[in-house]
Amino acid sequence: MANHSQFGFQDASSPIMEELVEFHDHALMTALAICSLVLYLLTLMLTEKLSSSTVDAQEIELVWTILPAIVLIMLALPSLQILYMMDEINEPDLTLKAIGHQWYWTYEYTDFKDLTFDSYMTPTADLPLGHFRLLEVDHRVVVPMESPVRVIVTADDVLHSWAVPSLGVKTDAIPGRLNQTSFIASRPGVFYGQCSEICGANHSFMPIVVESAPLANFESWSSLLSS
Amino acid sequence: MAGEGDSEPGKSFKLLGFLDVKNVPCARESVLYGSLGSLVMGLGHFVATSRVRRSCDVAVGGFICTMLGYWFYCRYNLAQQRIRQRMLKEGMKNRILFEGSYLDPGKEQTGSERSDS
Repeated sequence: MANHSQFGFQDASSPIMEELVEFHDHALMTALAICSLVLYLLTLMLTEKLSSSTVDAQEIELVWTILPAIVLIMLALPSLQILYMMDEINEPDLTLKAIGHQWYWTYEYTDFKDLTFDSYMTPTADLPLGHFRLLEVDHRVVVPMESPVRVIVTADDVLHSWAVPSLGVKTDAIPGRLNQTSFIASRPGVFYGQCSEICGANHSFMPIVVESAPLANFESWSSLLSS
Repeated sequence: MAGEGDSEPGKSFKLLGFLDVKNVPCARESVLYGSLGSLVMGLGHFVATSRVRRSCDVAVGGFICTMLGYWFYCRYNLAQQRIRQRMLKEGMKNRILFEGSYLDPGKEQTGSERSDS
């Protein structure tokens, strides 16, 4: 989860999020280079005397056409690579349905057993010591680690959005529509997210908690819940 | 994303207010090498030509080119290292899983001596 006053991304917990963070670093470095150049040119303009002796400027026009094209290519190529990587069909081991309601989530694991549960935010008054305010839920989404998981997201009433920043996932939940996303949790852990589409009075109070565990633990959890 | 040898992992230093050079891999080295390259090229040009304005232009150009050049080189090496780490991790996991079984790659040489397992 994010710390207070955190500005940057949370630590990546899926390969796609790692790629996104690397691309973000690359884009920021490009932005730094451009800003340095612009700052220098601004300083020059402010310290030079004005003159109107220029009548022909073929070279500079060539430079300020070619350079931005190169910058755009430098940004577009990795961006497109990640975009297509995110849409790869990778034969998920598990399919999970997330249904948004006002103001809680319902999860359905219907691959092997008919396992359905609701996930409500734990009220602050009932929060155990050391747990995170407005982020904890009564029933977490447990997924096996290092396995491709497909999530089908929809909503029952109004627009919601199922988002877990650490996994690099954000998918709109639209009534009457099934949206699909997938992720691989690279490591065991607990990953927090919040509803990301305004959905009423308690929009800020319907968090998402994904717990990634080794397969054996996932199996015993699902057996426990379905019995 | 912790920086290497960072004594205070929570602290960050943002260049121009947005690039966190402490916590982004390769960023600190890129900026430092860029500064060094800028100094060398700018001073070198000035010593050779005694033209101040053009030397400043060369210095800024040198900063950008050196910084971006080292950045791509460093990120490429980092990406290769990550791929090698992943392959190593996968290999170790498979080695543990298949050790002692007929799929164990270490048993290929003695495979012909065994008629049944």
